[in-house]
Amino acid sequence: MSSSFRSDMGTDPYDSVGDDRWIIASASDRGSSRGEIDSLLHGAGYRVRSTDLRHVAIGLEQLESTMVGDQCVASSAEAIHYNPSDLTAWVDSMLSELAPDPHLLRHPLSTAAANTWADPTQQRPSLHRLENHHQHRNVPAVSLQSMDEEEDAAIRLVHLLVSCADSVQRGDSEMAGSLLDQTRLALARVNTGFGIGKVAGYFVDALCRRLYPPPPSATGGGGSAANLEILYHHFYEACPYIKFAHFTANQAILEAFQGHDRVHVVDFNLMHGLQWPALIQALALRPGGPPLLRLTGIGAPSPDGRDALREVGLRLAELARSVQVRFAFRGVAATRLEHVRPWMFQVAPGEAVAVNTVLQLHRLLGDRASPEGGDAAAAEPIDTVLEWIVGLKPKIVTVVEQEADHNKPSFLDRFTEALFYYSTMFDSLEGGRVGGSHRGGQQQQQTVVAAVAEAYLQREMCNIVCCEGAARVERHEPLARWRDRLGRAGLRAVHLGSNAFKQASMLLTLFSGEGYCVEEVAGCLTLGWHSRPLISASAWRADDADDASPPRDHQTLVLQDHSSSITSGSNNVVDGDDHLHQHSVMRSHMGSSDRINDTGSGSSCSRV
Amino acid sequence: MAGSNEVNANESKMAVPLNTWVLISNFKLAYNMLRRPDGTFDRHLAEFLDRKVPANATPVNGVISFDVLIGRTSKLLSRIYRPAPSTSAAVPLLADLYQPPSADPFPVIIFFHGGSFAHSSSNSAIYDSLCRRFVSLCGAVVVSVNYRRSPEYKYPCAYDDGWAALKWASAEPWLQSGKDAKFRVFLAGDSSGGNIAHHVAVRAAESGIEVSGNILLNPMFGGNCRTESEKRLDGKYFVTIRDRDWYWKAYLPEGADRDHPACNPFGPNAAKLDGLPFTKSLIIVAGLDLVQDWQLAYAEGLKKAGHSVKLVYREQATIGFYLLPNTDHFYQVMDEIKNFVMANVQ
Repeated sequence: MSSSFRSDMGTDPYDSVGDDRWIIASASDRGSSRGEIDSLLHGAGYRVRSTDLRHVAIGLEQLESTMVGDQCVASSAEAIHYNPSDLTAWVDSMLSELAPDPHLLRHPLSTAAANTWADPTQQRPSLHRLENHHQHRNVPAVSLQSMDEEEDAAIRLVHLLVSCADSVQRGDSEMAGSLLDQTRLALARVNTGFGIGKVAGYFVDALCRRLYPPPPSATGGGGSAANLEILYHHFYEACPYIKFAHFTANQAILEAFQGHDRVHVVDFNLMHGLQWPALIQALALRPGGPPLLRLTGIGAPSPDGRDALREVGLRLAELARSVQVRFAFRGVAATRLEHVRPWMFQVAPGEAVAVNTVLQLHRLLGDRASPEGGDAAAAEPIDTVLEWIVGLKPKIVTVVEQEADHNKPSFLDRFTEALFYYSTMFDSLEGGRVGGSHRGGQQQQQTVVAAVAEAYLQREMCNIVCCEGAARVERHEPLARWRDRLGRAGLRAVHLGSNAFKQASMLLTLFSGEGYCVEEVAGCLTLGWHSRPLISASAWRADDADDASPPRDHQTLVLQDHSSSITSGSNNVVDGDDHLHQHSVMRSHMGSSDRINDTGSGSSCSRV
Repeated sequence: MAGSNEVNANESKMAVPLNTWVLISNFKLAYNMLRRPDGTFDRHLAEFLDRKVPANATPVNGVISFDVLIGRTSKLLSRIYRPAPSTSAAVPLLADLYQPPSADPFPVIIFFHGGSFAHSSSNSAIYDSLCRRFVSLCGAVVVSVNYRRSPEYKYPCAYDDGWAALKWASAEPWLQSGKDAKFRVFLAGDSSGGNIAHHVAVRAAESGIEVSGNILLNPMFGGNCRTESEKRLDGKYFVTIRDRDWYWKAYLPEGADRDHPACNPFGPNAAKLDGLPFTKSLIIVAGLDLVQDWQLAYAEGLKKAGHSVKLVYREQATIGFYLLPNTDHFYQVMDEIKNFVMANVQ
């Protein structure tokens, strides 16, 4: 039964060609490695290891050739059928019952064929099955007998962690401490270099910090704003989430700005301004010419006498000048978002406003009232901020948020949710790296970038696990809740359009490893790893924005490799009406005279 | 075609990903075991082998499901899928389930699962996945009808059940939406489900219930003569003429042949659809499906009768391509479905 299978049929352009292979499935299916259950068949109710697929296929073929015509039904009626979900065992048992003739079992050629099938991915236990096992308890229990030892240890580790979190929630610090010790022991039996072992280590540390908080002087709040920017930049490089966010948001902003010649973008978290070069260049290229672009960037005050916001503004101005886009920048420094006031943006009448919030809105949430409590929630900062956002009458509000519920009232629920969320995130950091970014083999550099990216995520995780009250800012909530909230505030969803979906999918195949998947959920896009959405991007407009919805999909963004397109700006502040205007916002302990540049149109300094 | 199994298997292997091949071949093998030559069906074994999932009111990827009894006398069950209601509770309350998912117009998709009238149920895992996807795709409420199956229940039971579900849904206030409080319903189905959707749509047109659109995925039609595609593709891509004949015999009334209008709606015995307010159709045909000639004839028949048809022909697709999200066929067809629903939901 030699069969020559045609290779790659073009469903996946990055599939490596081989003569003796089946068609490989597309991106969303690819991350399966040795020992892992095929996740798509699992969705159809079958547990089959990816590596057994070929064996099962050959078995099915043989069963079919032995069970011909009417004989098929008769023989199977007498056969004993084992658990149909365990397809490998079912096929094997059917074969031994119905085709006991050894000639018909496992033709030698087919065995050889099975052995020559190369398995390109590395082995590590996936958290998908663990998550299914843990969370979907109402699904009929799956037998654990066929799992590896390593997977057993991983499951045990997860259970220990969750039990520990449970005792922390109950205030039983003795029990929690003892469980932490056990968890550390269990950690020793698992490879902490990757997968569950690595992420579990971080969670053990976080639980430890929560149980035994270090003295306040020790870490000083986890590092300065500058450090955070470095971490963020590495996270930006190591995986496609932020790039996806920027790309998708820019597309929506671009479309919303069609037909307007004075536009104003308010960025809730400027950082290095990585999002904006692509937009500036797209505006430069738009038919009919670029508008006058104003950008207001909100960010943390710089501690060391620098003015980081202004520096970013200068670089962007430089870029804008080089592509002949009239550009003006304003920085608003604030320690907390809720201190910002809309008058600080000085929106001019007739300007089309875009509000851009990437991973920011959740910081404005407070504790959620527990389901049992009947009290109306106190007015949270989010409500105030959403109110003034709507008051700006923006043409578009782009919202990017983590797709997870890390703001549940119960600590245990938050902990468990975060455990699975960040495991998937870490899997993707690693999987994206191994799967092969196509930028060339700079493996060393990628390892460092990935490690620093992990540190970025670790800060988030730590905040979720260790902090409470005003200190807990990583209050992620899922898209469904944001929809509700934004809807109540008077915002209407803008469909991102199938072109945005296609572009995002293309972006992924060009820049990242396989395993990432983009999905569209009622007009919003999510990016995830192996069918677990991790980040969502959506766009909104005020109810009573006066123009009709813009025609979709007319302009597309040029894909940019952002890290190389930011040039270091000169230190000259260029004055004059169409170039850089910059209003620096002062921290309270510096005098107000130093760095204010006034346009002459009235008061422009805001102190927060 | 017993002797040529080897050749047949090789061709289908080249057409689909490995896990899809395993899934569909497994179905093919299992189904072979269930069809008895005397026309009876091993229902007991069928239910044992079918992979099922329970309803789940806890949101999974923003979608929840729950089962409802539609007709007490007929014991007709349906599984409802909908976007998770916005509630702070971890699991929605009963009252939450029946809140409209949105004040804006939203589609209600009445879905008839496939299985050649004999196999599968609303709670089959493969159809549970598909219905959840429809919810995410279109913000729809999906009603998956657990219609009575053959050979125990022949024509017209499946159509009667489909009609009962449509009537039930049209009377549910929470399924109406928009400022005009309209029931915006689509009928959808794959294989035999597509056939059911057609016949329920005809009844709707005759009775004045407005349907916004029909979505037929590889719909099951046939006729007495052997078409070119049936002869060419017999046994090559998981399906044989012989098994098609068995299922029609099991569904159609005793003594009827395949030109019965249930099987062949544009055949010699069919009533004319001209002048009826029949809905718009989106028809998806797989180029490696042996009954494609019947499906294409169906599309032509609708057009000749003056009805709107959008035909999507996926040349390299086999049956069941929509069961696993691992090909371009899957994603592009889902896109087509979404566009069709969005365009017609107003």
